[in-house]
Amino acid sequence: MAHTTAQPAQYNYAIVRNFTIMALVWGVLGMTAGLYIASELAWPFLNFDIPQITFGRLRPVHTTLVIFGFGGSALFATSYYVVQRTCQTRLWGDSLASFTFWGWQAAVALAAISYMAGYTQAREYAEMTWPIDILIAVVWVAYLLIYVMTLRNRSQPHIYVANWFYIAFILATAILHIFNNLAMPVSLFSLSSYSLQSGVQDAMTQWWYGHNAVGFFLTAAFLGMMYYFVPKQVGRPVYSYRLSIIHFWALIFLYMWVGAHHLHWTALPDWTSTLAATFSILLLMPSWGGMINGIMTLSGAWDKLRTDPIIRFLVVALSFYGMSTFEGPLMSLKSVNALSHYTDWTVGHVHSGALGWVAMISFGSLYHLVPRLWDTRMWSTSLIYLHFWLATIGIVLYISAMWVAGIGQGLLLRAFDDYGNLAYTFIETVQFLHQPYVVRALGGLFFVSGIVIMGFNVYMTIRQGRREQAALQAKLA
Amino acid sequence: MPEWLEWFTHMENTKPFALVLFFVTFVGIILYIFTGKKRAERLESYKNIPFDDDDEHRRDEDSEK
Amino acid sequence: MKHETIETNAGWLIVLTMIVISIGGLVEIIPLYFINNTVETVKVDGKETIRPYTALELRGRDIYMREGCYLCHSQMIRPFRDEDMRYGHYSLAAESQYDHPFQWGSKRTGPDLARVGGKYSNAWHFQHLMNPRSVVPESIMPNYPWLKEPLDYADIKDRMRALKAVGVPYSETSEEYQANVERFGKDVADQLNILKARENLIAQAGSGNYDGNPEDISEADALIAYLQVLGTMVDFSKFEEGYFAEFR
Repeated sequence: MAHTTAQPAQYNYAIVRNFTIMALVWGVLGMTAGLYIASELAWPFLNFDIPQITFGRLRPVHTTLVIFGFGGSALFATSYYVVQRTCQTRLWGDSLASFTFWGWQAAVALAAISYMAGYTQAREYAEMTWPIDILIAVVWVAYLLIYVMTLRNRSQPHIYVANWFYIAFILATAILHIFNNLAMPVSLFSLSSYSLQSGVQDAMTQWWYGHNAVGFFLTAAFLGMMYYFVPKQVGRPVYSYRLSIIHFWALIFLYMWVGAHHLHWTALPDWTSTLAATFSILLLMPSWGGMINGIMTLSGAWDKLRTDPIIRFLVVALSFYGMSTFEGPLMSLKSVNALSHYTDWTVGHVHSGALGWVAMISFGSLYHLVPRLWDTRMWSTSLIYLHFWLATIGIVLYISAMWVAGIGQGLLLRAFDDYGNLAYTFIETVQFLHQPYVVRALGGLFFVSGIVIMGFNVYMTIRQGRREQAALQAKLA
Repeated sequence: MPEWLEWFTHMENTKPFALVLFFVTFVGIILYIFTGKKRAERLESYKNIPFDDDDEHRRDEDSEK
Repeated sequence: MKHETIETNAGWLIVLTMIVISIGGLVEIIPLYFINNTVETVKVDGKETIRPYTALELRGRDIYMREGCYLCHSQMIRPFRDEDMRYGHYSLAAESQYDHPFQWGSKRTGPDLARVGGKYSNAWHFQHLMNPRSVVPESIMPNYPWLKEPLDYADIKDRMRALKAVGVPYSETSEEYQANVERFGKDVADQLNILKARENLIAQAGSGNYDGNPEDISEADALIAYLQVLGTMVDFSKFEEGYFAEFR
């Protein structure tokens, strides 16, 4: 693919192409793993007594592949593209950029394999063992260096807002990753380690990391994506640049306070979780600032919804972003959290953000990107429509099933009979979950089918691009 | 130290202090961003940056519409 | 300074962003180390009753982490009536003070395990781990037949040393041992002695007979030893009503 010559030579598109392909590969694998573990909960025989594929080992494989494999690669691809296009300069450091590619892919692959083999730190969303953590830290510093040097080389005096979000994401992820993963290895040749902190301090640090992985990795960075690809696809500039300035600073400031709302009613001191709940409510405003800015950019171009399936992905992504950033503050209220915490409501909430916002905005952006990277047009527009409907139906099934499961189980667990005894045993609530779990797995099947179709469509597009390229060169020769 | 400065030395006053500090900063940023016609024009002009670079032919969309 | 200065200068953008994103974490994490009430004092007759894990329990905890048990089981009971009736007294911060990392969890696909210790017999646990549906027909937990495999405890001393390095009071020198005798009593101090870790582990697995087979030391031995100690270190009858509430 390195020999497509029609691209403007001033940009490094090769690196963007590689990350784009890997985003789809990890997306298919990671979402399939998700579908499988969802099915294990509905039909436990699927664990097959095989250690490597039991729920407890496969679940981190799912989260790592979708967050860091799919999401991470999509962010590398789009950030490297956006920074070049908005700075109108070539990406700094070609070989360092390909180091970030290989280093990142190696980290994701090694992480997934090591969990299945039983090597984990047992920190949610940061299960990678310490050597992989070090690899990630090195790759990340290289990423920051490339990004900053490219910004410094820009031929445009102003740094476009999308880049601010990407920069905040890179910086915050570096801080979070390093401080959350401080640990003492058992020995130099052991993959096991014990975390530096323990108990309540460790819980606070882990959820400071955990929630800001959502806030910066899965939100700020994807807002960066939104601020470039929505205006480009609609052909209209962003609704309000001043709104973007305000909501950028407010968002990155407020997010860092809210992690402790994952620890309501626990042994974490009350002042900490109350503070987190307060900031969670405040966070609604900058979140909706971004959502409104995106939606208003689209307004006035509603007619394109009928003809452009990519815009549909973007509209649905922004709608789910607005929905889940409303649901989040709601669930951070202590009284609501008392019911929702530890249940599938949380799982549903995460997926309305992860599928509805993160995946949909990525699909839209990648559909915009692919034809430009391979200098052709998408192989099939009807398959994009099909993907859109499969994904949307899948999300709706998933979230509704999890609302039923989570709220239902929460209510059953706190129900008392006339004599003040517990009305249900725990296992009775597990029985209740079977049907929602089946529906959730079905929703997952829809969503996975969608990304498989996207993968096929992109594969055919790349082939078509190469063929056209070859034909063009034959004509010239 | 003047008496009013001692207010800051009491731990229990950190909450109102932080609240006022953050709020004033926030209002300051809002006022700065949304006042001044010239500043507004300048800031809003930056939103066209993604379109400064339209050297490509975008045939995928153009042919569909 | 104009906002333009930030917009046109990558250095300023980075510095200001760093400041803005650092505040929240600093304010919420640092005080947890300095506010004394954060972790409760739990002493009976002058001795701390919450102790680090024994060598066998520690290996059991490692297996708990390896299998991802924390993804479906929490270890954090909240102060609600239904949780009190179902699981027992709400969890104290002190009870996880030696947990590197903490295993509070975030999801209860299965029940909370913070006070599972002593609730079921060893035989029940073994049967349940081998085939959960043979004791709880509606369970959706996977079978764990491979926990019958022998336990690898070759690196137990390295593991305890690593934990010692991050602040867990395991002892290597005689001064450290004496300090543990003062703090936890002699019986516990013996279990925390790194130099005797292997003997202690073998002895506990033999006398505890967790997996019903006294001949070998299996992974199930370690895991069940860990499960059986969870939540048992505080005898709430020894404390006055409302003592722990003062820490919240």
